[in-house]
Amino acid sequence: MNTKKWKSIGTVLGETNISEFYFSLKNYKAKKGDIITTESKIPSSEGNVVPVTVWGKISSIESSNAFFPTEAAQELTNENIDIRDTILPTTRDELICKVIILGFTLKDNLKLMPLNYPVRPAATVSYPSSEDVEALLISDLDSEHPLFIGSLLARDAVKIKIDADNLVSRHVSIFGMSGSGKTVMVRRIMDELLQKKYPMVVLDIHGDYLGFIQKQKKLYPNNQVKLFYPNLSVSSDDKEIIYTLIDKLGNSLTDPQKDFLSSLLEKVKYEGGSLLKYIELLVRKAREYASDSSKSFKNIRPASMYVVVRSLGQVAKKLKNMEQTNFRHRQKMSKLKFEELPDAATEPEKIVNKGQLSILYLKGYENLPASAIVSILLENLFKHRQEVEEEIPPFLTIIEEAHNFIPSRSEDKDNLPSVDTIRKVITEGRKFGTGVMIISQRPSRLDETIASQCNSQIVFRMVNQKDQRATTRDSETLSVDDSKQLPNLANGQGIISGQVVNFSLPVQIKFDAELINDDIGNENFITAVENWDDKESVKQRKKFAKDFSNITSIDKRRAN
Amino acid sequence: MRNEIDIKNKIKANSSLFTNFVKNAVNASPKVQNNFLDVSAQVALTVQKILEDADLITNLEYKGKDFWSENKCKTACFIDGGVDKTSIISSAPLSIRTGSYIVKPDAADKNREFFEESMVFLGDLYDPKNELYDFAEDDFDEDQMLNKKKDGARIIFEAVTIVKHILLNRKFDYCFLHGPIEATVMPFTVMGFPTFTKFAVENMLPFYNKNKLNAEARHFINVYLEALNSIKKSKFPTYGIVETSNSAPYIKNLLYSYKSKGTISEKDFKNTLSTIKKYKITDSHLLEIILQSGQAIKPLEVKKQIKGFSVTSGSAWEDKMDSFPSVHIGYIKVNDHSAPIRIESLNQSKNLIKDYEYILATARLLPNYGFPVGLNVVDKFAKIPNWMSKASRKYYATHLLKQAIRSKDQNTISLAVKILSKKVRSWRNRPLGGLAR
Ligand SMILES: Nc1ncnc2c1ncn2[C@@H]1O[C@H](COP(=O)(O)OP(=O)(O)OP(=O)(O)O)[C@@H](O)[C@H]1O
Ligand SMILES: [Mg+2]
Repeated sequence: MNTKKWKSIGTVLGETNISEFYFSLKNYKAKKGDIITTESKIPSSEGNVVPVTVWGKISSIESSNAFFPTEAAQELTNENIDIRDTILPTTRDELICKVIILGFTLKDNLKLMPLNYPVRPAATVSYPSSEDVEALLISDLDSEHPLFIGSLLARDAVKIKIDADNLVSRHVSIFGMSGSGKTVMVRRIMDELLQKKYPMVVLDIHGDYLGFIQKQKKLYPNNQVKLFYPNLSVSSDDKEIIYTLIDKLGNSLTDPQKDFLSSLLEKVKYEGGSLLKYIELLVRKAREYASDSSKSFKNIRPASMYVVVRSLGQVAKKLKNMEQTNFRHRQKMSKLKFEELPDAATEPEKIVNKGQLSILYLKGYENLPASAIVSILLENLFKHRQEVEEEIPPFLTIIEEAHNFIPSRSEDKDNLPSVDTIRKVITEGRKFGTGVMIISQRPSRLDETIASQCNSQIVFRMVNQKDQRATTRDSETLSVDDSKQLPNLANGQGIISGQVVNFSLPVQIKFDAELINDDIGNENFITAVENWDDKESVKQRKKFAKDFSNITSIDKRRAN
Repeated sequence: MRNEIDIKNKIKANSSLFTNFVKNAVNASPKVQNNFLDVSAQVALTVQKILEDADLITNLEYKGKDFWSENKCKTACFIDGGVDKTSIISSAPLSIRTGSYIVKPDAADKNREFFEESMVFLGDLYDPKNELYDFAEDDFDEDQMLNKKKDGARIIFEAVTIVKHILLNRKFDYCFLHGPIEATVMPFTVMGFPTFTKFAVENMLPFYNKNKLNAEARHFINVYLEALNSIKKSKFPTYGIVETSNSAPYIKNLLYSYKSKGTISEKDFKNTLSTIKKYKITDSHLLEIILQSGQAIKPLEVKKQIKGFSVTSGSAWEDKMDSFPSVHIGYIKVNDHSAPIRIESLNQSKNLIKDYEYILATARLLPNYGFPVGLNVVDKFAKIPNWMSKASRKYYATHLLKQAIRSKDQNTISLAVKILSKKVRSWRNRPLGGLAR
């Protein structure tokens, strides 16, 4: 590290302390988020004075031309005078930067240590070379498994890496408004973890991750990428989930009707398998009980039983609908091979396996069933990690649109079965290697305890104040200055903080264009309309519409 | 030419003469109040007549856009001094600096404008070892003397800044100082006013080594005179610009010269002067009424330092007063609603009208305030910035406590602690420091 080569960019101002200082910046020499240094001296533990390099990050910049009187603008406008012709000052923008001190390094050792003595007022502030900044970040990260994610926002040349070990064991939250770059970021991390053969399970609602399937052969020849569609397969252990599903999806039931449903679930044994089949079985059995009139159910009137039968029918119909919607979506992507989600209880290795990425495609499913599916899946996988035999390796679960699975209590969606499951997986993830990545555009709508368990955060553009507040509330490392920056970030620019890095850093995430799912470039509605051709049925309907409307209008004529 | 009605209306319509009078009216006798309007109108009319007779009024041209595109090649330097007016008992910390704003509009960005901190002093005037003034056991009221020392330092710093530019052979087309080009030195002739230290004088005027800088040579009067003589020889036109006059040197001199020529009788002269004094009529007041926006009056040569009358009688400096250069004083009325600004120079300008038009144009860039904008800019720069006086405050507080502890006097220590615990309030900074934070 040759500190002599660094350019001087400003001067430390006024009072300083050990955590921050201000400096006056030369025009255009640095930006917000830049890493800067100043040479200082500290007392060492041996009692002598040692020269150190203090590192800091520009957390805000204020510019003012204190010398330009507002009155002058009036005259310039009135007389149409070019300010550059006059004696008015034009180049004296006073730039004052606030710097958060990151720590100090000693000569020839890039280990960043906490500063315990203030920097010197009037000292020169320097702009370290990109190589040196990168070297510092890497050495400070001290990671056995660094993952490359992008570059320092203010400096392209400084590559940013994050620590994989903390990422997979300590949970990460990724927040930002729609289109801000969350999914692009997740795909970047997944790409890196695939290289490391780390198993992942992705809950994909929109098909954002199907690109991995398409590009598997080309980009990930040594990995397996599996694409699953949900199968609500249940066992008798899942009674509670089944009850909740029926209760929520069906008609609302009175207390006696609910009693009947519970008893029914007790009586009708099921060895496991498709939930839909089980419900159909329940419908048959319930009808039997209702017709042979209360031999087994003394206190329940047959009328109540029929209500439950109808409700169960309703549930079955809804489930069938969702399955079919999902099926139709899958059909549109005929080139992709979808497999039915294996039973996580009995064949977990088909879902979590070294080098394998498993994508669970949930499009078409309503909140509650999707939550049930996820809950059952994760519950089983977690169990396998807990057991002594460890049938599956550690893995990372990636939850897109997380507010659907772990809504905050105030969202009034209690009883989503996935909330408890995910909470458990997260709290004990460190022990069992079940890391979770939570992605959401509405952090304010997430379960607070789960969100606060994420000790690393990546935040993208965010305008909504409530969401900003929730984000800083859940984070120990995101500063107020950082959060002020959130509304102004562009696509793919995020602030990364927490245990995957050592101090918060604004990052431009690398965009992997080849990981985009090219089958559903479906935001191009204009082209879709341009190429629109009515389906046969619609054409027919339009053809006859005129005739029918004639009939109606003639019919309505008043008889004279 | 304006008639009496015009003049009276103008006086009533918001002129500073009228406002000033109304302010003082409470104390004036009813007769004085009644006569005010008549008398002041009469004085204004008379003065206007004389000005016209002497052909002293001139119209300046201002075409904003054209002016600046023609003059963007000119280099102008604007100078002002700033004093951090903090003071606490038993310690007189002083930060003072003069700044220069040098601008050549058509130069490339890098060379277009320079802000220079031309002179700086940071020290404690009560500290016998301070580097500015020699320590003097003075019998005078301390506060008064302290203020004089501050003023003296500021005046010298400003003058010396111009000298510095001359010595550095700077190629200015214009140089402007915020304030009189030659200050009245009378206040510094008092007995016991300390001399500057050798160190200070050597730094301020490196070429000045009269008698190896004995005490007399280091006195304010001599140092200032030396600086003024040097400024008088400058190659570039140098002007001091003053916002308002609170005296009437121009009018008095004008009347005096007419008296000398015999145009005004001795008696009329005396009576008029006493009227001016009675109603506290100043140059600004009268010229504000007489001049129209964009008009100027050509300079008159005026003696600033008047022997006998203002120097404490018997002062050792009385004879020196005649050595001071006389000052050329003129006025420019920038806009309709503010008093004319006073323009002072040590030499008669060769291009008076051009120079005045330049000053007018710089002042028009502050359309309401009507004062050269470059001086406004450097004024802000010279002000001791916030962070700086905050830092110097701490510095002196520590210094003070150390001294108190060194003296080991219990009373002093507790006094020092009391002073230190005073809130920022007692450390008044000049408003709106340059560095926003
Ligand atoms: N790092 C990046 N570099 C360049 N462009 C990017 C980057 N990140 C995102 N974008 C652009 O923004 C678009 C939307 O990004 P992305 O799909 O990641 O948004 P999102 O935050 O996941 O939004 P949503 O909440 O709607 O899912 C991308 O298709 C891409 O065009
Ligand atoms: Mg997304």
